Amino acid sequence: MSDSQAPGGSEAPRRSFFVRALTAALAAFLGLVPTMFGLLFFFDPLLRKRRSGTASAEAAAGEKKDAEGFTRLNVKLDALPSDGTPMAFKVRDDKHDAWNLYKDMEVGTVWVRRTGDNEVIAFSSICPHLGCAVNFRTGRKDFFCPCHTSAFDLEGERMNDIPPRGMDRLATKVNDQTGIWVKYETFLAGRKEQIATDE
Amino acid sequence: MNRLLEWLDHRTGYRNLLNEMLYEPIPGGARWRYVWGSTLVFVFAIQMITGIFLWAAYSPSVQTAWESVFYIQHEMYLGSVVRGMHHYAAQVMIVLLALHLMQVIIDGAYRAPREINFWIGLILMQIVLGLSLTGYLLPWDQKGYYATQVTTKIIGSTPVVGQELQNLVQGGSEYGHHTLTRFFAMHAGLLPALLIFFLVLHIYVFRRHGITVTNPRRAPSADFWPDQVLRDSVACLGVLAVVLGLAIFKGAALSGPADPSEAYSAARPEWYFMFLFRFLRFETVEHFGQAFGAIYVPGAVMLMIVLMPIIALVRGGHRFNVIFAWCLMIVIVGLTGLSLVEDGRDVEHQAAIAEADRDAQRAVELASGPDRIPIEGAGKLLREDPFTQGPRIFAKHCASCHRYDGHNGRGRMVMTADADTGGEHPALPTAADLGDFGDRQWWRSILTNYRNLMKPLANAGYDVESSVEYGMISWFEENVEVLTADANQADVDAMVEYLVAQSGRPGLELNQELLQRGEEILSSGSLTEGEISTCDNCHSELGGEFELGTDNGGIPELNGYASYDWLKAFIDNPGSEQFYGENNCMPAFADKLSSSDMDLLVRWMTGDHAATQVAPYDSKVELLQAAVDDSSESEAAPADDQPAADAE
Repeated sequence: MSDSQAPGGSEAPRRSFFVRALTAALAAFLGLVPTMFGLLFFFDPLLRKRRSGTASAEAAAGEKKDAEGFTRLNVKLDALPSDGTPMAFKVRDDKHDAWNLYKDMEVGTVWVRRTGDNEVIAFSSICPHLGCAVNFRTGRKDFFCPCHTSAFDLEGERMNDIPPRGMDRLATKVNDQTGIWVKYETFLAGRKEQIATDE
Repeated sequence: MNRLLEWLDHRTGYRNLLNEMLYEPIPGGARWRYVWGSTLVFVFAIQMITGIFLWAAYSPSVQTAWESVFYIQHEMYLGSVVRGMHHYAAQVMIVLLALHLMQVIIDGAYRAPREINFWIGLILMQIVLGLSLTGYLLPWDQKGYYATQVTTKIIGSTPVVGQELQNLVQGGSEYGHHTLTRFFAMHAGLLPALLIFFLVLHIYVFRRHGITVTNPRRAPSADFWPDQVLRDSVACLGVLAVVLGLAIFKGAALSGPADPSEAYSAARPEWYFMFLFRFLRFETVEHFGQAFGAIYVPGAVMLMIVLMPIIALVRGGHRFNVIFAWCLMIVIVGLTGLSLVEDGRDVEHQAAIAEADRDAQRAVELASGPDRIPIEGAGKLLREDPFTQGPRIFAKHCASCHRYDGHNGRGRMVMTADADTGGEHPALPTAADLGDFGDRQWWRSILTNYRNLMKPLANAGYDVESSVEYGMISWFEENVEVLTADANQADVDAMVEYLVAQSGRPGLELNQELLQRGEEILSSGSLTEGEISTCDNCHSELGGEFELGTDNGGIPELNGYASYDWLKAFIDNPGSEQFYGENNCMPAFADKLSSSDMDLLVRWMTGDHAATQVAPYDSKVELLQAAVDDSSESEAAPADDQPAADAE
């Protein structure tokens, strides 16, 4: 730096270029450092691995949720129409939201149909197209999404080409005493394949 | 490329702008002393950048402000660095501001034709101070909450419109959600916008008159770019290093969540407002009314600074201004230093800081736990935490007789007024120190050091040598030789293990081998070397469950000793036949403590709370012992007290 103060000699132009380049680099660096830290911080949802407070499935197991992640719907098989008409039920679970843990709150809705003596099928009510809530039309006996008119039959298969895939089937269990249990999951919208969103 | 730039220049004229910005001639050449203005602009840029990113994670409401800042600080990627940069850049800004202002005054740069720009600079200073003030509250921690209370109360002491102004600022007559939303809007919206506006004006007017040069013939004139920019950048690099270093290695503090019901004795403003704080502590200042010290005096000083360009018109005016500025600096530094030294020597304040640190650590510990933060906010975590509340309840209800590791549970010595000097000295305990109550150490003391453990009772005039304690004392005298014999130490360990097991406390790790041996000894009475008389000669038989209300004839129950149920029953009514009976001298607390306080106290004393890494308060046992020794020496001389107590 003391060089730059020296009165111009034969090397002056070269030195001057060096000073300019150095200054520009330094100034850019100064701007970049806080911006980089800020951006990395903003990218937290993509960069952070550790999430504290997320209890393991086994630890969270209780009356409402079992070790395999099935949630109790609090409805017995007999309560479902035997003709296979679907009914909507709320799923309750603990929900993490940044620093909060909401205990036993409504986290979603599932459509459940009775398909046999001891059999049910369950669909997530979230439309695989773009995530609106799918309704059941009793008259036409189909599932219909009011947002972009995605339609599905009783098996959850697509009835038009608007949704990329059929409705998302959820694993179920039927227990004589405790009723119907469902493994509630959410999936990426707009994909042909069913890909679970990561917690 | 060239043609593209030609085109761009034709349409925008950017070259002209660049030339205007970069090729400002500096008579006398670039100098290091001109860097301060640029460093301020740079620090402000840091604040804008980090501030906007923090904005994306901050949530201004009473139940989420501390919580979101906790999340930024302890969970989010690089959150502590970004917040730390914002925190320390704000403080560096104040220092640079002071430097810049002092330089402007000393060099006479405030004089015509630059007086308007000087005033714009003063407006900028007010805005920066406003940003500091509003930013201090946003984390909604105890420190910011109580410091800002003082600020808004000062606003409330404004003549005529004080109350209205205060309500306006805090969004109501008390602090709440709208205090935060308003402060946040000021901090992240209004004040930065004003700052940018005045900063542009400041630089524009600065360029109009050029830099204030003391000696233009010092060196050939040079342009701002690159010579001065290089110096400015190097200075900024230094500033960045300081800010980053502090952010990474020191980190921004976050005290416990704001709780209006929890007094915060460690309240202090940020260090750069400390002089004002200290100024208001002078009683003489307060005698002139609150508005005098908090508003009129600072206002008058500001007015003096504002008037400097006009004062400088008078002969000798500049010299007066410089002397005034130096005096002001000396007073500010002096008051700040005085305040720091006083606080450093203030035992009470240091204890308050230690407690605040403990709460802060504990809040973070609980918030990081498996249950996260309840929707009611993190304040609830501390309010319902035995580890946090137990010591406070102990200090309030128990520490007038008992001590906890020599202190009052909250890390402070229990003091009593000194009649002669008007000062105070450590009060003598009149009951056992409960710092290790129910622990192995406690049982070891009972077995091998009983007389000493109960010695404080004598301070209450209670005669340890009589009644039930005498029974225990005489047992102790009989058996102490066996119990302290070297060959029997392993046996004592075993007995301790068995006795400590009675509490069944959560998290108690027991050595089964020792446990068995302990049971053997305590039922047979025979040790490796010699024999002792066993507990059940007087006490109820060991090894059963604790049952409330058994009549032991005033000899303390040992089953479940120091367990939750045992201790609660004891504190409820120590004079019951299950415990001390008629020999009891401790008050019954069943009606003195609310059931929730009782629960918190007992859970704390029995270690029934979320595990903690927070260090315990420093032991004051030695300090207390010194005080006890002192008093026994002074009492030894006039021995009239002793017989009188005995006669009773």
